[in-house]
Parts: sequence; C-alpha cells; structure tokens
Amino acid sequence: MATKILSVDDSRTIRLIVGKAFKPYDCIVLEASNGEEGLVVAAREKPDLIVLDVTMPVMDGVTMLTKLKEDPALKAIPVIMLTAESGRENVLQIARLGVRDYLVKPFKEDQLVEKAGRCVTLAKRPVATPA
Amino acid sequence: MSAQPDINQYKELARRYGIAATPESVSRLTQIVARQDCCVDEIVRVIEKDPGLSSRLLRVANPHAADESEYTVGTVDEAIMRNGIGSALLLAMGTPLSLALIKTFQTMLSLKLESVDLHQLDSLSGQHMLGSIGFAGKVTGHVYLRMSSASAKAIAAGILGLEPGELGPDEIRDAAGELLNIMTGNFKSNLCDAGLDCKLQPPKVGLTDDYFTPIEPGSGLERLAFRADQIQIFVEVTANPWAE
Repeated sequence: MATKILSVDDSRTIRLIVGKAFKPYDCIVLEASNGEEGLVVAAREKPDLIVLDVTMPVMDGVTMLTKLKEDPALKAIPVIMLTAESGRENVLQIARLGVRDYLVKPFKEDQLVEKAGRCVTLAKRPVATPA
Repeated sequence: MSAQPDINQYKELARRYGIAATPESVSRLTQIVARQDCCVDEIVRVIEKDPGLSSRLLRVANPHAADESEYTVGTVDEAIMRNGIGSALLLAMGTPLSLALIKTFQTMLSLKLESVDLHQLDSLSGQHMLGSIGFAGKVTGHVYLRMSSASAKAIAAGILGLEPGELGPDEIRDAAGELLNIMTGNFKSNLCDAGLDCKLQPPKVGLTDDYFTPIEPGSGLERLAFRADQIQIFVEVTANPWAE
C-alpha cells in the first residue's frame, strides 16, 4: 500500500517541491495550506507522515502540532518540521512537543527524502510496463 | 529552567537535526547591539575581527564610492561613529539574510549567487517584482526584495524544476514569496536568539513600478545586491533596533 505523506505549507512552491521529492516513491502526497486544513486532512486520511511548516496564516504549525499530539487518534503520526525558522526557542518548543525531525529551509529534496525514510518506508514506485 | 541547559539542549538538537549555526561574529554582534548600553569599542572590536563584516560596513559608509580607492571613511571605528550603532545591527541582520539567499540558490537552484556592489548591477526600470515582509517586536522594520520579472521567472523555474514557459503568474509570485520567507526566517532566528524577539508579518508580493522604500523614523537602511547568471536581486532592509 502506498505511503501517505501530508505536506502542510502555505507556500504552493514548497508543496510542489515536496510532491516532486516523493514522486519516485510509492507515495500519495496530500496537501494542506494551513494548520486548520492540515488537521482536517490528517483526521480524514490518517497519513503515515506529516511535513509541517511553522509560519502559516489561519493556524500555524506549532498550534497544529500541539493539537495533533493531544489527539489520541493522530498523536503517533511522525512529524517533520520544514521551516526557515531555526531560532533556539522555536526549536526547543517544537522538540518538546514531540517532533520526529527538523529540516531548515532552504533544503535539498534528497535531505527531505532521507529524513522521511527514517520515519516511514519509502518503496520505489513500480515501473509501469507497457501492455 | 535556566538558560544554560536550554543552550546545551539546543546545541544537541541543532547537531541532531543538522541545523547550521549563525557565524559566531554575527551572533556576538547581534547580542552586543541588543543591549541598549553597548559601547562602540566593543562593536568595533567584533566587526574588525571579521573581514566580511568590515568590508560591508565600509561599503555602506561610502555609498557614493565606486571602489575602495574612493572611500572617504576608511576605518570601522569611523564608519560606526558616522552611521551610528543602528548600522551595526543592520550589518548583523544582513549577514544571515545574505547567507540564506546564497544558500537557497546553491541548494534549490544549483546556481552560485554572488553578493556584489549595487553599482555593478543594471538598475531596474519599469514594472518589477516586489516582495516585502515586516517584522515587529523588540526590533521593527521591513525586508524588501526586488527583481525584474525575467529574474523572478527564472528563479521560480529553477526552484520548481520547470521550464519558464510552464509557469503562470501565481507560481512566479509564490516562489518569490517563498524566497522572501526563507531569507527573513533565517535572520529572524538570529535576532530572537540574541534577545531581540520579533514576529514576522505576512509577506506581500506583486508587480509594481514604485521604487520608493519607506524608512520609519529611527530606522536605518541597508541595500544589498546579488547576481547569478542573468538573475539580479536587490534586497533592502530597514530596521529600528530599539523600537520598544
């Protein structure tokens, strides 16, 4: 079964890059543009991994992470923070909330895939054979 | 919990997550400027030890000079005395911003972006892409990112791995906004770590033919310029270090 990855970022550019990074793998990449949408998609789709931005309108990533960890049905989903903010307070607060990993923007797609591979199984997408 | 265990814990997390540290001279300079009782000598000593910071400060202090031979302000001490302590903060803010921009080009576009003197670039004319983001708290100000439409398109294509012809205006605008977010997120982290807590406001990105950069009372301005192949980028930072 394909691995479900939820990308939560207000930047369409980042969501496209995340989608592109996992294209070679047997993954379904779901998208949300803020924390509120992210919680709805997470509850509905139960992704295997969430890639989460910090600064977003409507609901930021820290609030979404807090709510995820309070929800018994969602708290076990591993979360990788993908953010340009690497300040001490931010990193400590997020680590204490129980994030699995942290990737600072700018980033290479390979770095994201490597970190994701430590959280979930990433199988290469089967090559389609001509009929 | 006291600050020291927090700092040690952060260092351990930064190592585990692979978070790169801000250059020591920049962190030190930001911490000194964050103290309202800092003295000029202390600032000068930190800047003089870093050739990059010294060179940028002197460039800012000699805005009309085409090169070093035309400098009328020749020392770090003179530059700080003339431009004020606020110029040291702009210097400390500009470094993480420049590093983030250069690293973005290197990692996401595989292009070597160079920091250059303003006069080495062609001036923008007519309509261009402008992104701006405000920050407010113990330090307040704005970061402005300007580039031609062609440069904005080339950057979006590079980041997304698409051909320029495949891009619509929304993709180009969004990529410029993300570039701005990455730059400002990195410098905000340095400010907050030095005790200058501030929050970023939502970015605004769009086409404009307005070249006016508003400077709030008590604020300083630093202009930075960058070049990679045909891409030219202009960055302006305004900041008031003691807004509160």
